[in-house]
Amino acid sequence: MAHIQCSFYSQSLMKNANVIVFIPTENADDYLIGTDVHYGCKGGKYQTLYLLHGSYGGSTDWSLLANVERYAQSRALAVVMPSGENSNYVDMDKGEAYLTYVTEELPAFLSKIFPLSKKREDTFIAGLSMGGYGAFRCALAKPELYGFAASLSGALDMQELQKSTEAHALKMPSGYREAVFADRKHLEGTDNDLSALLAKRVSEKADLPQLYMTCGAEDFIYPTNEIFYDNACKLGVPVTFERAHGVHDWDFWDTHIREVINNLLPCCGDLKI
Amino acid sequence: MAYFQCNYFSPTLCFNTDINVIIPTPNSDEILNNKKSDYLYDGAKFQVLYLLHGAYGDYSDWMRLTSIEKYAQDHKLAVVMPSASNSFYQNMYRGSDYMTYILEELPAFVQSIFPVSTRRENTFIAGLSMGGYGAVKMALQKPEQYAACASLSGAVDFMGIMKAAQSGEIQGPFRWDCIFEHPDEVQGSEADLFALAAKRMKEGARLPRIFQSCGTEDFIYQQNVHARQEFEKLGLDLTYEEHPGIHDWNYWDTHIQRVLDWLPLANDSVKE
Repeated sequence: MAHIQCSFYSQSLMKNANVIVFIPTENADDYLIGTDVHYGCKGGKYQTLYLLHGSYGGSTDWSLLANVERYAQSRALAVVMPSGENSNYVDMDKGEAYLTYVTEELPAFLSKIFPLSKKREDTFIAGLSMGGYGAFRCALAKPELYGFAASLSGALDMQELQKSTEAHALKMPSGYREAVFADRKHLEGTDNDLSALLAKRVSEKADLPQLYMTCGAEDFIYPTNEIFYDNACKLGVPVTFERAHGVHDWDFWDTHIREVINNLLPCCGDLKI
Repeated sequence: MAYFQCNYFSPTLCFNTDINVIIPTPNSDEILNNKKSDYLYDGAKFQVLYLLHGAYGDYSDWMRLTSIEKYAQDHKLAVVMPSASNSFYQNMYRGSDYMTYILEELPAFVQSIFPVSTRRENTFIAGLSMGGYGAVKMALQKPEQYAACASLSGAVDFMGIMKAAQSGEIQGPFRWDCIFEHPDEVQGSEADLFALAAKRMKEGARLPRIFQSCGTEDFIYQQNVHARQEFEKLGLDLTYEEHPGIHDWNYWDTHIQRVLDWLPLANDSVKE
């Protein structure tokens, strides 16, 4: 795996952005065993997972705190890990346009630099906590871009979380919280309400990505997952909900991103030629 | 400019290695000052300069100690900066195959991941000191791969430098018994650039253009003067410059700009 730290000027964020990118290349195991993957094959493109961090995190989280590089290497999957600050991956009302950045600029930019497939069936998005919300938010904003979206311990009931007075919600500086959403206590029915956005896409008869969600029953965010899942079921959307055990931590995310990459994503295990 | 720090397993070196890569991408300066910014598009490729570090250094030197990113952005040039330890860019007798790495694996790897041209006319190599030697060595070793090479304060008079280093007249971290099987028999071999150049001339090879620059107060200035005479005697296509300066980053930061001005650059992305 080539582990690539990228720094570049982002036109949608209007500032420099940092992204970690993994590109499958022959590694020491492949060298020793003689694995036959078409690394570097001219014109070949990699299937790509966009992987989003949670609140209080950054672009390096997934590469430092989980074993994504190993899992992705085993499936010949490229991984793109951007930074979304604490934006919830929306175009902030008073701030940067992270939804545009993740769903438009980043795929267009990175596919000009790296051999990444732009096909829907080769493009996946996943994230944890705020990034789980972000993965579904992006996938429902641009359902034509993604074949698969996964939420791990996702903040899927954002309208309730924004009203929360629990300690974890109050840790976020109020200035930042006020900048993200125009009227954060009244998100119901807007595109930032995932259940409402899902209903909108269903009414439009949109071709939705495959949606997968998992959350630990002992996680403080678990109830928001049940609420979103209920709403999806009522809409008749076939969301897979894996109710697991665990809390809001990297043990859970490492275990479950492994499950997503190894067993759930439709990876072909090779370059697409 | 997009700046990429890239760590990966090199099957040639048989360990993980780092490279820095910079690729021209639209930046804030181009937006603020209404400069050309339409060069990055689907299928765009860039002319590429492989830029080699000197002894004691690694892949990070050029980025940290010069403004190469700014100069490359101005010229819309991709730059690739690898590491070669203190190998003198040789396939070491006791050590790793750095020449094969730089000549074969690195270009193939970079072309498979980054949008760089694969054509000779768009491929250049330069370096400082040990890397100046490395640049000319690679260009003469595989002249069909590079259109031009450049040496700044380079150890291009390799036999002169090696003897001075062996006698302690100049400092160096080089383990000659690791680099070469027979350190006493290097003269006349392909590590000796005068011999390699003579061989290529005799073969009638189409050789890359060469740029050579050295500071007049540099401790290897006399060797550069000698190398110039030898290269000219051989009839190589040489552009020679000397300027006041010593063996330091002030010289290299200034004169890498001369190199970019001298290279046949499109100042734009290229189609392939």
